[in-house]
Amino acid sequence: MLGAIQRIEMPIRRFPEGEEVDYVIVGVGAGGGVLLQRLARAGFRVIGFDAGPFWDTERDWVSDEKGAHNLYWNDLRITAGQHPLAFGANNSGKGIGGGTVHWASFTPRLHPSDFRIHSEDGVGVDWPITYSELKPYYELLERELPVSGPSSYPWGDPHGYPYGPHPMGGVGNTLIRGCTKLGIGVSAGGPVAILEGSRGDRPHCIYRGFCIQGCKVGAKASTLITHVPDALENGAEIRPDCMVSRVHLGQNRRVTGVTYFDGEGRERFQKAKAVIVAGYSIETPRLLLNSACPEFENGLANSSDCVGRYLMAQAGNVVMGRFDELVRMYKAPPAHALTEEFYETDAQRGFARGFAIQTVGPLPISFAKQMMTAKGAWGWGLRSVMMDYNHWSAFGFLGELLPHAENRVQLAGEKDHFGIPIAKVTFNLYDNDKKLIEYGKNKTMEVMWAAGATEVVQETRYAHLVGAARMGDNPETSVVDEFGRTHDISNLFICDGSIMPTQGSANPGLTIMALAARIADYLITQGDEIFTSEKRNSEKPAIRRNLSPPDTWGHGMPAL
Amino acid sequence: MSGQTARGDSRPVDPRTSRPIGPMAQPGYYRGFSTLSQQKFWDAKTREVILDRVNNVPQIRFFTPEQASLLEAICDRVLPQDDRDAAHRIPIVPQIDKRLYENSHDGYRYEDMPPDRDAFRFGLRGIEEIARHLYATGFLEIGLLEQDEILRSLHDGNPAAAHEIWSQMAVQRFWLLLVSDCADAYYSHPWAWDEIGFGGPAYPRAYMRLERGEAEPWESNEKRYDWRAPDSSLSDAYEPVAGQAEHLGSPGQGGTH
Repeated sequence: MLGAIQRIEMPIRRFPEGEEVDYVIVGVGAGGGVLLQRLARAGFRVIGFDAGPFWDTERDWVSDEKGAHNLYWNDLRITAGQHPLAFGANNSGKGIGGGTVHWASFTPRLHPSDFRIHSEDGVGVDWPITYSELKPYYELLERELPVSGPSSYPWGDPHGYPYGPHPMGGVGNTLIRGCTKLGIGVSAGGPVAILEGSRGDRPHCIYRGFCIQGCKVGAKASTLITHVPDALENGAEIRPDCMVSRVHLGQNRRVTGVTYFDGEGRERFQKAKAVIVAGYSIETPRLLLNSACPEFENGLANSSDCVGRYLMAQAGNVVMGRFDELVRMYKAPPAHALTEEFYETDAQRGFARGFAIQTVGPLPISFAKQMMTAKGAWGWGLRSVMMDYNHWSAFGFLGELLPHAENRVQLAGEKDHFGIPIAKVTFNLYDNDKKLIEYGKNKTMEVMWAAGATEVVQETRYAHLVGAARMGDNPETSVVDEFGRTHDISNLFICDGSIMPTQGSANPGLTIMALAARIADYLITQGDEIFTSEKRNSEKPAIRRNLSPPDTWGHGMPAL
Repeated sequence: MSGQTARGDSRPVDPRTSRPIGPMAQPGYYRGFSTLSQQKFWDAKTREVILDRVNNVPQIRFFTPEQASLLEAICDRVLPQDDRDAAHRIPIVPQIDKRLYENSHDGYRYEDMPPDRDAFRFGLRGIEEIARHLYATGFLEIGLLEQDEILRSLHDGNPAAAHEIWSQMAVQRFWLLLVSDCADAYYSHPWAWDEIGFGGPAYPRAYMRLERGEAEPWESNEKRYDWRAPDSSLSDAYEPVAGQAEHLGSPGQGGTH
């Protein structure tokens, strides 16, 4: 049975040159992909730009660690600070589907407490919305992707998942064993956006372990296969390989469209009645900063000086344990079991907020580099520990780091090959962050020991990005309102992880998509008002359940 | 050539007999296991990419011949292959050369580092200068143990000479870059997968035995043998990259979660 299992038709619609469309979306990833699909379904004339390709998954992707290099945002960024972040494969996608092409696809929700950590713990900032406002969108997206996991998930707001949990791999069994020994609850088989049974034209998972190299099978959800096909069917245009370099401000503080470099490197302009930036936490602030103009000398929509600030990464230490028996951690999805037992603030620990412990499944190249940093391995030592690759298991510690103004994206002096100034990112840990990492790292190692490991080592690392264009009610301390609308410009929106004011200890993908679906409901409810009026209607939109891709809503509603 | 050891045997040793192991076609505990033998079960694109890696070793285009031979000697110590026979050594320098020639990178550069091309040029010069400072001759001429001493000093962040070079870039970041590049080249090769028992590509066929470390019908069970690093080596000790490891980040690592 060799050959293409699944095929996505390339877009055929092309808006005529010079024609003004309703919406331009810059970036077709987690946020942009969901928003594009909904705006198209609601009948808007919309174009999704992405700097990377429209993937042909069968011809472009490989079951190979090194060969997956082109899935990531590999354009140069400068990384600085006391605790500099890694980019590229670590957290940034390029191409239709964005980061969802290479996410491991853990899809936990945020907890209700995440939306009000300032009120509850006196740290960070509260969200302008509550958990209960986002909850119906979590439920929608969990069915649209869909998410596999237990029918009863105990943490945060308890809920169940529409698709059944995945079978365990070696790493999941290690986590279950360690947690059980210590009396820690553990969720086996999800929540993860990977099909455990086939649905429509998408086959179920084959447990080949190359999730973060792009799922050739089509079992792992990415907006490329979950939302983009429906967007195209409903008349959206996608312009791949097009790098947007500037958002233009016209009369009356309204944006008029975007300048971009097309696949041949020609500079072009696309007129739009409104612009939505969805480039994630580095490219979104970079684009706004690069769109400075006389009215906004410090960057478009940046009167608050918050564009680029309050960037967050999650603590993502990898803890590795060696076992006498074989594990073979390359089998099964890296993401298949986790615990959120330590998610909430516990005053006795001496720091605010918490963390999750998750399975990961590093493939040989990643594992070699982890041994290089965790053990200082090189030479014969590296050869030796790598010969034991199949004896090792690995957990990812995922901890909440708090927002700080000085953790930020700025423009560097250097330019990319289009001549666009590149991003410089500065990142430092603060006191609460350091305490949380120390505690969480030790707890994760304790679980690995309890599982029966004979050696446990760990590597300091940071995962995921959010923030750098945060939402809030106060225009002086935030960039956008709860609907992603910039406080400064009424027809300029942001719809990606950069608007998250805090991050919890949940992988951000599902939350980004849920926020996008909510923003879509707002835009659709407002209709043409967005294009013609300066009036800001802050009425919360009713949820629209008829915008999901076909045959998703109503499937699998586990009773609690 | 003051105080140098003889080059000695560079092969790993069987601790019971004290005799050198190899060279052999396939070191590791999965003798006979071959990922390439499964290639008809791989998808066409994956097969194309991996066979190209195995069959078409890139020409040296970035480094000068002198730089390439120096780097070859360095990589022989950073990722030694003396237990492999000549026909089954995994090319490392050509892959590093290809990356630098194409100016390809992982999407970011530390503020305290020059571009990778310069980092390698500086690093090679620095290593050669240390050898000349300590032993009054080039890195290629000194003993294996002395070569390891020099490399370990980079790992430790404590190089004995060439300080004007290390003032232009963080020495341990260069070290991690060098080891990363060697690991990239070695562990992306199917022969290395055979060595460590990694199953390799599994689409569209799938893995079906997920638990208890069980082998697929086409995989092999582990058959361990004892070995230790040769006496001419220092690289079998595990010492965390010294000092400011917390601040070094995780260079080039793919996302895991």
